[in-house]
Parts: sequence; C-alpha cells; structure tokens
Amino acid sequence: MAIDVVVLVSIGRHPVSGRARRADADARAVELALGIAGAHVQLVHAGDPDEPALRDYLGMGANAVTVLRMGPEADPVSVLSAHLSSTKPQIVLAGTRAEGGEDSGLVPYLVAQALNTPLVPGIVSLSLVGERAEMLQGLPRGRRRSLVSPVPLVATVPVMAPAPRMSAFGLARRGTIAVKDADAAADAARTAWTEGPARRRPKRIKVMKAASAADRVRAVTEMAAGKGKVLQNVPPEEAAKAIFDYLVTEGIIQAKP
Amino acid sequence: MSEERIRRDPRAEREARRGRAPQAEDIPTPVAAEASPSGRVRRDPRAERAARTSRAAEPATAAQPAAAPESESGRVRRDPRAERASRTGRAAPAAPQPAAPAPAPSGRVRRDPRADRTAQRQAGVARAETASPVKTIADPKFLILAVPDLEDARLSSHDKDVIGAARGLADAGGGAVVVLAFTGPEGVKDGLDEAGADRALRFADVSFAGYAPERRAAAVLAAIQALNPRHILFPDTGVVGGDVGRRVAVSLGDRVASNVQRVAPDRITRRGRGGRADFALAPPRVLLIAAEAADPVIDERYEARDLPAPRIEALSHVEDRGLAATDPATVPMAEADFIVSAGNGVRDWDAFHRVAAALGASEGGSRPVCDAGHLPRHRQVGASGTLVEPRCYVALGIAGAPQHLQGISKVERVVAVNADAHCDMVKRADLAVVGDVQALMPALERIAKERRHGN
Ligand SMILES: Cc1cc2nc3c(=O)[nH]c(=O)nc-3n(C[C@H](O)[C@H](O)[C@H](O)COP(=O)(O)OP(=O)(O)OC[C@H]3O[C@@H](n4cnc5c(N)ncnc54)[C@H](O)[C@@H]3O)c2cc1C
Repeated sequence: MAIDVVVLVSIGRHPVSGRARRADADARAVELALGIAGAHVQLVHAGDPDEPALRDYLGMGANAVTVLRMGPEADPVSVLSAHLSSTKPQIVLAGTRAEGGEDSGLVPYLVAQALNTPLVPGIVSLSLVGERAEMLQGLPRGRRRSLVSPVPLVATVPVMAPAPRMSAFGLARRGTIAVKDADAAADAARTAWTEGPARRRPKRIKVMKAASAADRVRAVTEMAAGKGKVLQNVPPEEAAKAIFDYLVTEGIIQAKP
Repeated sequence: MSEERIRRDPRAEREARRGRAPQAEDIPTPVAAEASPSGRVRRDPRAERAARTSRAAEPATAAQPAAAPESESGRVRRDPRAERASRTGRAAPAAPQPAAPAPAPSGRVRRDPRADRTAQRQAGVARAETASPVKTIADPKFLILAVPDLEDARLSSHDKDVIGAARGLADAGGGAVVVLAFTGPEGVKDGLDEAGADRALRFADVSFAGYAPERRAAAVLAAIQALNPRHILFPDTGVVGGDVGRRVAVSLGDRVASNVQRVAPDRITRRGRGGRADFALAPPRVLLIAAEAADPVIDERYEARDLPAPRIEALSHVEDRGLAATDPATVPMAEADFIVSAGNGVRDWDAFHRVAAALGASEGGSRPVCDAGHLPRHRQVGASGTLVEPRCYVALGIAGAPQHLQGISKVERVVAVNADAHCDMVKRADLAVVGDVQALMPALERIAKERRHGN
C-alpha cells in the first residue's frame, strides 16, 4: 500500500529580482517527498491556480497540483486544514517558512493542530519503516538528530535540506493543475500593519559600553584575546595530549571511557 | 602632599565600587572621600595610561573561584578579587588589599597608591567586564518572559540579544524579566544575572534535553499560566526557540511575530516577503526575535532570583534516537562543528588530512594554502573565504593575519600550534602550543586514534 504524502507548496520570490518562483524550502520539501520509497506524492497549494510558478513544482516530477482557490491575502490555514481533514494523508510536508508574505512559518503548526498530529520541525531526510517515519533533523553546525515518529505526522523542511532538482520544462508543461474552490476569510489582523521595504542593518561588530571615543576605537581595533594558556618547550607527545584533553573537557570530542 | 588630602585613584575606586557586593563595612565610598576639606582629587595619569594599555590575559568569563561562598539566598556571591587572582594565576595575597584599606586612627581612610596601581594593572581590560552592583526590581508592574535556546547549556549571542530585547521592554515600563531556562542537569554555564534576568525559572530535568519540543512548550505554557507575562520572547531559531515559540503561540490561539527586527513596547518591526519587506505592527504576545535585533545586557547585573518551577507532565510522541554520525568532510564550512585548519606552517599534507580525520574534524585553511592548491578554495577561512562558527577551531601553522582572524571572530575556543610564540594566533588562542607542527600532527593523530570514541 502506497503511503500518501502531501506537500504544501507556496509561491516564492527571488530574493534579488523579486520574480515569482518556487519557494526554496517548499521545493526542498518536494525533493524530499519524491525521494521517499513507496510514497504517493501530491502537492497542494492554496491560492491562485493561474500562477505560472506552480509549474516549477510540476517540472520536478510531481504529476499534479491541487489548488484550493482563494484570494491573495486570505488566510490559507482553514482551507488547507479542511482539505487535509477529508483526504487524510499519512505525511504532510511543508517548507519551514514561506517567502512571499508574512512568512511566519505558522501554517504547518496550525495544520498539525487541526489534524491533531505531531509536528516534527526541520527534517532533512525521511524514510518509512512500516507505519513509522524515520527522520533526520538538521541542527546547527552540521549536526543531525535521528527521530522516529508514528504516522500520521506533519513535518517541516528547512533550507538546509538537500537541494531540489531542476524543474524540467516538458514535465512542467504536461503536469495538471486541479482547481477546487474554497472560501477563505480575509486575514483581518493584517490590515492593521504597515509595510515598507526591508531596512538593512549593519552587522554588529562588537557589543561594548564606551565612555569615550577612545574606548570605542580601542574596542574595535583590539584583538579578541583568548584564555591564553601557552605551552612552550613541551615535547610533541605531551603537547598532543594537552590538546586532546582540552578537546575532551570542552566536549568537542568524546574519549573512550 | 597635605595631610588633609586623600590621594585618590578614581579608576581603582570605580573598580572597587563596581566589583563588590555592597557591604556596609566597606568604607571608602567616593562620597566620603570627596568630603575631604580640599575636595581636590589627585589623578595619576601614568597609572591610568598603564591600565588602559595593559591587556588582561583572560576574558571575564574565566572560571569562577573554586569555592565561592553561598549566601543564605542560595545565590553564589562573587568575589571579584579572588576571581581576578585566579585569572592571573596568583594566590590572593594575604597583604592588606588596596580596595579595602583599614581606617586610620583618625577615622580617615589611608590608601596605598602603589597597591592600587598594581591592582589596576592586573585587572586591565577585564575590568570593564567585572560585575556591577545587583539591580533589583522588587515589585514589577508586569513581566516579560524570555526563553533562550541554551544550546550546550550556554547562552548564545542570539540568546543574549533576546534577553536584551526583553530588558528593553521591561525597563520601558517598570516591568521585570523572567528567564525560563532549560538548563540541563548541570546548570547553565553563563550567569543569567549578567545576561539581564530579574527572575529565573529553571527546568533542569533531563527530559527537557535533546528532542523535547512538546515538553518545553508545555513548560512555557505552565509558566505563562502562573506568571501571566505581557510578552514571551524566543530566539527565532530553526529547531529550538522558533519551534517552541510557534507551538506556544498556537496553543494560546495567538498570532506570532517572527523574524522580529526591532522591538518597542508599542511597535515592533518584523521582516517578511522573503526578506524584502518590513512590517510594522503592535506587538502580539509571542515574539520570535532575529539575531542582533537588540543589544545584549553588558556590564550590569540583575538579581536572577529563582522562582519555583512547576511540574510538567506532557510527553512526546516522537522518539529521539540521539545525534546521528555525520561525515565532517561533507559538512559545509559555515556549518562545521569542529574545524582543524592549516596554514603555511603545514608542509606534510598527508599528516594534516590524517589528523583531521582521526579527530573527526572538518578541514579548513588559510588563503595561501588554498592559493597553492593544497586545499580546495571552499575550505578557505577568513575575510575573503568563509566566516566560520565551529565550537572549536584548531589552527595549525597559521600566523593569524587580521583577514584570517576575521573569519573566526565568533569562535569561542581556539587552539593554536605555531613555531612563533609571538604571532597573533597564539595570542588569540585559548590553548597554544609553541613548537613544530610537523612533529605534533602525527602525535595528535596517534592519541586520537587510541583514545577517541568510535572509528
Ligand atoms: C584583501 C585580502 C584578503 C585576504 N583574505 C584572507 C582570508 O580570507 N583568509 C586568509 O587566511 N588570509 C587572507 N588574506 C591573507 C592574509 O593577510 C595572510 O597573508 C594569510 O592569512 C597568512 O596565512 P598563513 O598564516 O597560513 O601564512 P603565514 O603568514 O606564512 O604564516 C605561517 C605561520 O606558520 C608558522 N610556522 C611556520 N613553520 C612552522 C612549523 N614548522 N611549525 C609550526 N608553525 C610554523 C609561522 O610561524 C607563521 O606563524 C587576505 C589578504 C588580503 C590582502
């Protein structure tokens, strides 16, 4: 029996040109889904069915996208939850955050709440073993945590997941877009917001409290000094042992007990 | 010098004032000294200059004195002098201390300028980082809850920014900051007091460590119920703060403001549209704060009084099988956890690759070694290479040019091996070995193979 995997896809924006494209994290979620052995992958989008960027996802090899038609600033959560409650997929994947709107990353959490399933954040791989999903979660600094969860479940896929395949033109043309009408309420809270272009802040160099200009100059020009333990005239064996012990006590590597 | 005049060294006094827990019997308050008849203060420009230019060998985060006495409140009282002494590797002298001179028979305080100067010089730059008097907020009008990630039981700079943002919100209206800390069984390695916590709610149980977002969210929700904070702040990080914060917001039925760039009591700015737009709005209850959105607290100390932590029953449906082995060679440099890096001092490249593999570290290099083709270009660390943030950086035969040091400016632990004891990398290092790197590499490889866990 094939396992039903639904990927929630949104429309992204190219960070520089602002052109509509597949959203990076969502495309990685599609890539991850297409790699699950024994999965039947469906894509679901809440929004405008005529958006050409949807075809980028089809070009990755998914046969069809189901579009729940709604206005651009409407709230997709109720629409998606209603659809998924009726289709009951075992696994729902989504990018950690969208790149076209509020980008709050809250949609998968609300969907998981509506479906009453666990949510696993930030996975970079997933495979099925019987009724259970074995996943690797991406942690900072290249670390990975191994997790196992029963299905059904919702999981999010971060931009550190493996890169998505290119979109093939022929596949993109041939794929079908199935439209379902949905009524979504407009997002009321959003109208109270004011929007402007993002203001770039300079990167912080150093945090300091300076009484005078001289203090400030000193703080940025001075080199950060370490704890400064220096071993001199020590034979290499002993120095190597000192380094090794330091790495162990600082928890960088583990020594045999 | 006239007898009436007290010779003062303002810097040393400031130091003394800042560095000590307030004690009634500590006489030399500046007010008392100013009251001297002439009222004139004598400065010692040379000593001040010396203090300015001398550098402390260690940052203030160095080890606490072995036996810090515990006060009745259960909080550890710091003794900056003992700390300073332990930092400089000297036993605390039994001789009279410059900061607490005995009152002369006349009742006036006699100071010893030379001892003052010595103390100053030892304190050096670290002086700016010694603890200040504790600020207490006894009766706050409202509470702000901050939940740092505390990865590896340490406050990251992002964590400190979040507590700084909470401070800003609290200070704007007479509120107090509660830091909810999943400390792990061994406790937090950095002081929550110096980070800006008025209260601390600590969850030390191991069941909150590893993968435990449901339990963490339940703990935060219990704290919200007990304390009714005005705002709850998390670092907007992928799988820790950002995840738990979203769970909490969903349970509260609230919106969340993520990727928050600026925080004020009535207005916040959050980034959206793929990073191209800023939205300004009234702050919702749950705020997910971007790194560097606020400045951390520095040079100040708050009470960090412990609040009783509630018991949490929630359990997880997801099983945590622990960290998976990853191949350090395939991890991108910017993400690497542990880097062994080579400079021009390395000549035996075979030995270098072997020692990196034996330690399970990612390889890095300085620009000249990448220029020469010993390592691929994407391994270059520095201003024109990658800015790296491993937990530890081992620099083998790297001089420490400014362009290279820029690339490791955020690294906490640096180990250097260099033939030149005076190079900047040795100064930057927490542990430095002065000697030939060619001889050291095979020795380190051998001991790593012998004693390291796993392959
Ligand atoms: C615009 C610009 C950008 C740059 N960007 C970067 C950058 O991104 N990254 C970067 O790394 N550099 C960069 N540089 C170059 C930088 O200025 C230095 O030249 C470079 O970092 C020096 O590399 P090194 O320390 O490996 O070599 P060296 O300066 O040659 O130092 C070699 C070190 O090895 C030690 N040594 C020699 N033999 C032994 C031995 N047998 N045992 C132990 N120690 C030994 C020496 O004492 C010395 O300290 C940049 C320069 C410019 C102008």
